[in-house]
Amino acid sequence: MTTQTVVLRDVRATYGTGDRQLVALDGVSVTFERGTFSAVMGPSGSGKSTLLHCAAGLDRPVTGSITIDGVVLDGLTEDEVTRLRRDRIGFVFQAFNLVSSLTAEENVALPARLAGRRPPAADVAAALTAVGLAGRRRHRPSELSGGEQQRVALARALISRPAVVFADEPTGALDSVTSRNILDLLRALVDEHRQTVVMVTHDPVAAARADRIVFLADGRIADDARVPLTAEAIAARTTHQVVKPC
Amino acid sequence: MTGALVAVMIGITLVTVALLLLVAGRPKIPDRLAGAAVVVQAPVSNSPADPFPPTIPWSQAKAQEWSGRLAGLPGVGAAVVDRHFYGQVIIGGRASGSTTEGYGWASVRLGGVHLVSGEPPRRPGEVVVDRALGFRPGDPVTLLTAAGPTPYTVTGLSDRPGLLVADEVAARLAPGVTAIGLVLEPGADTAAVEIDARELVGAGGTVLTGAERGALEPRGEARTRWIGMQVLTGVSALAGFVTVFVVASTFAFTVTQRRRELGLLRAIGATSRQVRRMVYGEALLVGSAGAVLGVVTGAAVAPALGRVLIDAGFEPATYEVRYSPLPLLAGLLLGPLVALAGAWAAARRAARVSPLEALREAAVEQRRMGRTRWITGGTLIASGVVLAIATAGSADPQDGATDALLSAMALVTGMVVLAPAVIPPIVALWRLPLRRGGGAIGLLVRQGARSATRRTASTAAPVLLTVAFAVLVAGMVRTSTAAYAAGRAADVTGGRVLVPDDTPGLSDAAVATVAGAAILPTTVFTPDLRALSGLGIDPATFGQAAQGTRLTAGALDGLRGPGAVVVTESAHTGVGATYPLTFADGRLIALRVVGVVADGSIRADLLLSDATVRLHDPSALTSAVHLTDGHPANGLANAGPASAGTSGAAPTDAGAADAAPASAGARVIDVATWAAEADSAEDRLVWLFTLMLIGVSAGYGAIAVANTLLMAAQGRASDLRTVRLAGATRRQVSGYVAAESTLVVLIGTLLGGLVALGALLAIRAGLSEQVGAAVPLVVPWPVIGAVVGLCLLLALAASALPTGRMLRAGALRPPEADL
Repeated sequence: MTTQTVVLRDVRATYGTGDRQLVALDGVSVTFERGTFSAVMGPSGSGKSTLLHCAAGLDRPVTGSITIDGVVLDGLTEDEVTRLRRDRIGFVFQAFNLVSSLTAEENVALPARLAGRRPPAADVAAALTAVGLAGRRRHRPSELSGGEQQRVALARALISRPAVVFADEPTGALDSVTSRNILDLLRALVDEHRQTVVMVTHDPVAAARADRIVFLADGRIADDARVPLTAEAIAARTTHQVVKPC
Repeated sequence: MTGALVAVMIGITLVTVALLLLVAGRPKIPDRLAGAAVVVQAPVSNSPADPFPPTIPWSQAKAQEWSGRLAGLPGVGAAVVDRHFYGQVIIGGRASGSTTEGYGWASVRLGGVHLVSGEPPRRPGEVVVDRALGFRPGDPVTLLTAAGPTPYTVTGLSDRPGLLVADEVAARLAPGVTAIGLVLEPGADTAAVEIDARELVGAGGTVLTGAERGALEPRGEARTRWIGMQVLTGVSALAGFVTVFVVASTFAFTVTQRRRELGLLRAIGATSRQVRRMVYGEALLVGSAGAVLGVVTGAAVAPALGRVLIDAGFEPATYEVRYSPLPLLAGLLLGPLVALAGAWAAARRAARVSPLEALREAAVEQRRMGRTRWITGGTLIASGVVLAIATAGSADPQDGATDALLSAMALVTGMVVLAPAVIPPIVALWRLPLRRGGGAIGLLVRQGARSATRRTASTAAPVLLTVAFAVLVAGMVRTSTAAYAAGRAADVTGGRVLVPDDTPGLSDAAVATVAGAAILPTTVFTPDLRALSGLGIDPATFGQAAQGTRLTAGALDGLRGPGAVVVTESAHTGVGATYPLTFADGRLIALRVVGVVADGSIRADLLLSDATVRLHDPSALTSAVHLTDGHPANGLANAGPASAGTSGAAPTDAGAADAAPASAGARVIDVATWAAEADSAEDRLVWLFTLMLIGVSAGYGAIAVANTLLMAAQGRASDLRTVRLAGATRRQVSGYVAAESTLVVLIGTLLGGLVALGALLAIRAGLSEQVGAAVPLVVPWPVIGAVVGLCLLLALAASALPTGRMLRAGALRPPEADL
């Protein structure tokens, strides 16, 4: 099995047509290894969200190739990409992670159910216990706080043991205590389960918990820091990035 | 989903009721024949265009021969020749409407009618009447037959409507026989007799047993029943259509509102197929639940509605609703099917939702209308207009109503499909005079309607449906009624007409009281069993009544001789040729062709002399007489629109019934009045039909309006919170919501009205051409006003209620704003 869980090669993505065309990613090549926690940072419009969408197969690049867990996405049909996403990719979004009509445990079991499997109740309970929500299994999203909802989404990403978990601003809508809690859980995924996490964030505190930080600017990789950095150092680099093009 | 559920439930209720009523609408065996286990009917004529082809009567001799041979079959006690003819009782100078048929006494042997007191009629001038009429044996009574009022004596009373006269009188009034009833010996096997009889008569007649004997019901009742069935079919079709429509708009709405959730499902691994299946699954659930509720409700209300139909004149009084499993099963199956059909488009849209939708904050819809949508909408509108014109051209008002319905459906669907393209310009137009009006709230309403075109379109759609249906269907019926009135008035140049008064036609005596062109219609049959309509005329006066007659060979005057006939070109025969026809008395006469007229220039298939018709059809009735000006007879022409029967008979004292005037059952009116009311009985039925349809669609539309707006209000919570946080007072928020609902209703009304008006103009053009006169466009304002008012009321209620609840609950305020 490859250690290169997610590989992007020369990925170019655009929005709109003609004069109003916007280049979101301009020939990005990046590899995320197995068992690593990476953060993608950059100012608004730098293409960090597009990078995540393309890497997760939610969006298709104009050119370039993407490989997830050894599977090349290029020639796959929409349904094939969907199945790949179901089996090997987990998601945590900034908000709106859960189906409002389903309970916490139903939400956790949903990807497996969509694939036609019924995960053992014990597994679902264990996943919820792991994120500290053992007592809230029967609650619906409206009865859970924002942090709790994020943790349910994490449990969902945990249970199917996906090759990679993509997190899009997972702490964006949370207060600092809850944020730390979520980041601890993401960290644990990598440290204890050797899973791969790719997180888009603009929060230096969150990025400081990652093993590696990829900085994007104007659709290109501006910096790729592999050593742990302090939040202050990250903040300094981010500011630098924002200022430079001006 | 509640809206969809309610829609399916109501739709299935209507369909179940309609199906139960349809199944119940079986022909009724005439009372007097009910006791005859086997009835042999004269051969049925071959008239594909007529839903109720008349039977070709047997002649006197043939009927005797058949009855003799049938009586000889094993198990048959007697073979009774059944004769029926036109006859009414005159009470107080007026023809009593409760009985219009008379029978020979022999028919009593068939066991359906019983003598309850007195004696049977044995001689001419004796009659047994229904005891409900209030006569006693020995009373004098005046009977109105085709010849005119005739004095009779009541000898006995029966337990059923219908006059019973001596057989020799019946044979004179009804020389042609259409049925022979077989009275079986006790213990005889009906099936065996049926087989024997069938073998005996062969192609010379039809052997009927059990429910088949319903084929013997009077044609008038069959026609009423048929109109009733048309109404019910129309209601079912409309209910089905509107249900699909409401379910479609409900589901379209939920899919739009749940885009983010659907996107999330796609993101975490649901394939588009799974999303589609999910929407179908919901539809199936809603459809099944609605079907069960609807079938139960329908079964519960059907009997009551059956009685309403009788009262409205759509069904004969003998109509009764019975429960049978098939309509109920059909309702149960139809519910899920209709819901699936409605959810079809929404499911496809849901399946196309991209997983990225889950990540977007608020999806601003800016997708332009696809080409398919343009083509679909355009095609639907075009076919709707074509159907509308076809409606105007159809001769049968019932066919017309069906076409009208289809046309309205096509136009409405087309307009709804095109609505997203049509709404922005309309809102822009609306903006012109009100660019600065309404302050901030006005701005919000205008921009909201413009940017969320699809939302506005789907909320306006039910209003569009309701208004278009009401305007189009009501306008169409009213305009065509006006058109036919205009056409009839243009046909005849002024003057006065003698018309029936509470009778199916005019007697000879009534006709003789006036001078004018009388037309005596009859039905004749060709040797190849086709039924033809013939008019008995007086060649001297006919030209005045039917100015359009175009003779292409021979002369009308030739009709003066006996055995003469004038045919139309389509008969493919020439002057001097022999033309054999079977008459109402069952006799086959070889007529001589004396003239040929252009097809369509007379309102019948052939012309005969009135003497010939009277000779062979003693019970034929004159439909109307155009009075020759300056020839008032018996002072009748001066009677004016009042009933000639009553005015002429004013001095009659109640006891002396035999003093009834010759003109009983007739009145004189001017041509304009006649033209306006000639079809009024049929018009009344059609108008009732129309109101029922409008009621169904308006009721439904109202549900849909309320439903979509309720859903919209729930989806707008966050918008309203933003508006509130931006500094809007509660009052302003309520105003905003109310203004938005009003705008939606106005847009729907405008579009619906536009569609209907276009179709109405097309119909008017078609009608003008058809009747050859200018036709006024009749717009039924009260109906429109009521429908729009209902929509507006419901729209305001449906949007104000949830908003009010949100405002009260403080849900608009985020937690921080509490202090």
